[in-house]
Amino acid sequence: MLEESKLLEKLSFRQNLDNIRRVIKLIVSLDGNYIPLQLVLVLLSVGLRYGGMLLSAYVLNQVAIGFDFSRLFGTIIFLVILLSLGRSAENILSRRINIRCEMIADKYQALQQEKIMNLDFSLIDSPRLKEMQERIRLDNNWGAGIFSMFWQGPFVLRGVAEIIGAIVIGAPMFSYFHGNDYSRTAVVLLLLCLCLGVSYAVNYKITMKSCYFMFHVPTQEEKKFLWNYVWDFANGSWHYRYGNGKDVRIYDGYKVMKHWTFDKLQTKELKDYAIKRPALCDVGERSIRSGMYVLSLIGAYGIVAMAALNGSMPAGSLILYADCLANIFYWTVEVAMWCREVSMTARKQVGILELLELSDEMYKGSLPMEKRSDHEYHIAFRNVSFKYPGSKEYALKNFSLELRVGERLAIVGRNGSGKTTMIKLLCRLYDPEEGEILVNGVDIKKFRHDEYSKLFSVVFQDYVLFALMLAENIAVDKEYDSEKVRRCLLDAGFGERLAEMGEKGIESFLYKDYTDEGIEISGGEAQKLAIARAIYKEAPFVLLDEPTAALDPIAEAEIYHNFDKIAGEKTAIYISHRLSSCRFCDKIAVFDHGELVQTGSHEELLADEDGVYAELWNAQAKYYEAEG
Amino acid sequence: MKQTESQYEKQYNIFQNIGYYFQYYRQSIPVFLWMCLAEVVFGAVQPLFGIYLPKITLDLVTKGVTLQRLWLTLAVFGLLCLSVYVASAASQGKYSLYNTRRNELLANIFLKTLRVPYRYVEEGRAKELYWKAMGVINGGDFCALHKVTYAAIDIIRNVISFVLYSTVLSFLSPWVAGLLLIIALIQYAISLSKIKYMEKFRGEEADLDKKKSYLFYNAMGSPTAAKDVRIFGMTGWLNKEKDMLLAKCRELAKRKGRGDYVYWQIDNLLSVGRDIFAYGYLLKKVFDGAVSAGEFVLYFGAITGFAGFVGSIMNSLAELRSGSKDTNFYRAYMELPEEDLRTGKRHISELKQPVSIEFRDVSFSYDIKSEKKVLDHFNLKINAGEKLALVGVNGAGKTTFVKLLCGMYEPDEGSILIGGIDRTEFPKEELYELFSAVFQEPFILPVTVAENLTFESDYDSERAWKALERAGLYEKFHKKGVTMDTFFDKDMDEEGLELSGGEEQRFLLARALYKDAPILVLDEPTAALDPIAESEIYDHYSRYSEGKTAVFISHRLASTRFSDRIVLLGEGGILEEGSHQELMDLKGAYANMFEVQSRYYAKTKLEKEVF
Repeated sequence: MLEESKLLEKLSFRQNLDNIRRVIKLIVSLDGNYIPLQLVLVLLSVGLRYGGMLLSAYVLNQVAIGFDFSRLFGTIIFLVILLSLGRSAENILSRRINIRCEMIADKYQALQQEKIMNLDFSLIDSPRLKEMQERIRLDNNWGAGIFSMFWQGPFVLRGVAEIIGAIVIGAPMFSYFHGNDYSRTAVVLLLLCLCLGVSYAVNYKITMKSCYFMFHVPTQEEKKFLWNYVWDFANGSWHYRYGNGKDVRIYDGYKVMKHWTFDKLQTKELKDYAIKRPALCDVGERSIRSGMYVLSLIGAYGIVAMAALNGSMPAGSLILYADCLANIFYWTVEVAMWCREVSMTARKQVGILELLELSDEMYKGSLPMEKRSDHEYHIAFRNVSFKYPGSKEYALKNFSLELRVGERLAIVGRNGSGKTTMIKLLCRLYDPEEGEILVNGVDIKKFRHDEYSKLFSVVFQDYVLFALMLAENIAVDKEYDSEKVRRCLLDAGFGERLAEMGEKGIESFLYKDYTDEGIEISGGEAQKLAIARAIYKEAPFVLLDEPTAALDPIAEAEIYHNFDKIAGEKTAIYISHRLSSCRFCDKIAVFDHGELVQTGSHEELLADEDGVYAELWNAQAKYYEAEG
Repeated sequence: MKQTESQYEKQYNIFQNIGYYFQYYRQSIPVFLWMCLAEVVFGAVQPLFGIYLPKITLDLVTKGVTLQRLWLTLAVFGLLCLSVYVASAASQGKYSLYNTRRNELLANIFLKTLRVPYRYVEEGRAKELYWKAMGVINGGDFCALHKVTYAAIDIIRNVISFVLYSTVLSFLSPWVAGLLLIIALIQYAISLSKIKYMEKFRGEEADLDKKKSYLFYNAMGSPTAAKDVRIFGMTGWLNKEKDMLLAKCRELAKRKGRGDYVYWQIDNLLSVGRDIFAYGYLLKKVFDGAVSAGEFVLYFGAITGFAGFVGSIMNSLAELRSGSKDTNFYRAYMELPEEDLRTGKRHISELKQPVSIEFRDVSFSYDIKSEKKVLDHFNLKINAGEKLALVGVNGAGKTTFVKLLCGMYEPDEGSILIGGIDRTEFPKEELYELFSAVFQEPFILPVTVAENLTFESDYDSERAWKALERAGLYEKFHKKGVTMDTFFDKDMDEEGLELSGGEEQRFLLARALYKDAPILVLDEPTAALDPIAESEIYDHYSRYSEGKTAVFISHRLASTRFSDRIVLLGEGGILEEGSHQELMDLKGAYANMFEVQSRYYAKTKLEKEVF
């Protein structure tokens, strides 16, 4: 779907800075105290480190010049304990901060899902959102997402603090410089910086290369040998799910599955691309980095030792200054590298930030929905046409239909004739491309969206129940009316199973995905729960989309039988391939290729022998007519 | 014959698991072992340079050497240092060599699933084990493979460093070295109890992670739930659940942190004591003139550095222990017994086509402990070439019948005969060849049309197209320009194929027709089809099943009309059997069921009391 990862494009300094700023803003919005606390922690840690170094230097200086044992030892004990108290404070603070980081990361994850949960439905399966999500997935394929920020960011801060500390503590070093020291030091320094600079440049090149291997999206040509389905099968995308092994056995599908997974991993091209070359990059990158470290260490000790050769620098100071100087070199390189990492991490979040800033496209009016106890609603589709996003074919075309309160409408038609689409448009999951849908004469776009949604109880073909508490699933809330829940369950025909469930009853959890104590329910039982949920909502319109597909004839008849109870005084729309359902509906709408081709009662429609309805009906009914 | 508990729990120890991975590396990436060796050797020596550099520098300065001598010594030392550091860093580049191997392990796991007896696939314990094994291998840097490999190398390297430091210190005084060793052992004991303490939280943590991942991705952000979430206004409910869950996570993290802090503080106090001792002892030595300033720096560095190694070893040990435990899930799954495909006394070539099928006194239940059997002393003979319709309410055992027939399960009692020969006498591989089956759940892989249809590499193109035509897909495929090499995956192929639910069912039918096996089994093949498509399948059924023994399962009783015999399953056995007319005349359960379904199709106007 994606041509190439954006992470491989060059980005200006400004853009990088802007990305970092956006991520920081997000972190602040999730936890305002995190950054100040982190700053305190960094200062404390660096302070303690230099404190320790100063202590060592002090002791060593005393050692070199001769000392009073008990006095010096007393001081040391005092300072060691002081440092240890500091470390305790540091430890406590860093624990607190770690918890905050975890919470921020959790909230950040939740935020994305919350955003998706609140988006217009039409965006959910739009190519635009899919591309966004694919980008987010690819960008975050490597590394720990925003979590990386929580150690990379402090690293940069720490580096800066280390450098400042080193400069402050190491500055007195110059008082030991005499005569030629300056020019000699300048020469060594120049050489050192040259070496470090060249190493850094090479290192940068290698890192870019290794980024390429991480983020490059294979071209169609490359896919031929790089593509495999290990990840997809392992995670149960596609139909390969744990449990779908019957077909593989019967049809001997093992070879094909092995070919696209294990065997594909063994090709020379893939090993070269995914293992050998990244490994070489890794080797190069790490070697250079550690080479730079050694170089700065030796250089720093050499420079300070040069000045010390004059004889006046105490031993402790020598080591202190050398360490300070080495720190300056080391941390300068590190800060440069970690800044790069930070901007990369920030860049990887851009996709998510864009998602979080995504605004709904649907127009949402502010007209309050007139609450009518008599449920006097009148619905009209006026010349509605609709295509699914990304599709060229009309799912509904020039479609008009009127619906009155209390009516029972059956919708029938072939697969793909637009039945479910009509339901989705009515519920305003999508907006029509042309034409309008009116409720009591008002375009549904003009109503407040939340109030409008309250009009409908729907059991979709692919309804979903969550692995949460049964009662909550019915009431769709943490607070529920137990009596009402029970009543709805009985009306939906779930009573028998409920009686078997023992004392936990409606407080049982469904399935085992959320808690191991959950109960397993069959497809038929799940369908009844979905219906119970629709009853609980008490909406004036009840829409049922193929609610009996998974049910046996007896259970199906039960649903038919209870249909009046489910629908009550309300308006009901019933979609089914089982045309038997048409018999208890007042009106039947026949769809064909996205158009409404017939409406009327069963008898009226059947009278038109050449009509689509008669064709559908006879196709099914002929098997049920008396023998002969 | 059902599984014993021990099969699901392997208790390999840490060493066995390290050996397991390294054996694997030895076979697939030998260079990796050399890199490990380099890292251990160079990595272990490396810290010594850190403590010797200040000493050497101090010594040089104290001696007052010339400038040339200073730089020369530092350059030699530096080069040595550089080569060791670089070698050790370079050997750490092995990461992508082994970490990418986890894809292979993932492939192993699901390929294994296809090789174990099918009963494992549906069994609760094995399923749980499968997902655990997937989980521990799938976790990037948290995957078992990485944890064990990384930690094992790290421990060896640190142990060597530890020994080296001890040697340096024993020059100072064997007593001091001994004392520090004792402190290290105490630290070891503390850390071990800390590791065990922290491991107690793992269950709780895993539970919360599971909940979070379910709530975030299968509920809140799930595209399949999106419609229901919006229509029923579920956002408030799910958000409340999320807030509760996050509060629990926070509480757990705090609780964990508090316990951990106690251990840290004990360790901290120990190191305070050690530092004070080190300073005191060394100062005394300097005071007595037994140790020079340079040596003071060296030894002090060595003493304080000591603790670092113990800390690293303990961290890695914790990692290793958890990685090893995780590895046991993987190994337990990989060691489930595989199905024997090859052995058998008889061969299907002996069978005369079409074949007969007989269930003789078969009893079966999914759970051996359960009283209720799905099939209870069940007898059924299907004659050669007979078309049988199997009906019954949900849960009557229709699908179980199919699974037993195809050899997915073995009966607890009784036998299943095919062509008069006990099914178990054929090699499994040959037994599977006997069936063309369409199961309820669609199973289409993202690979090519040909591979999905034939699962063969040298397929017969003409026959493949013929099968598609018979299943009613030819026209649609032709119009769209689909070839046998078209993928079912838009990522792989921009023209990738997408099928609707009804088309999927037709495709599965085409697969069964291509195979053209002597026994045709169709389990609810029309559930997603509209009436006309359904009727088409019924009309063609007699041609599909020509010359074959066929079993047709459906909730739609219409399907029974073109079968030779109807069997109504229920209560673990056959309730009624006979032709449609015979069963209708019987006026029993079948007649009732048919009546219930067909009254809506009556020509006469419906009476209101029907409802």
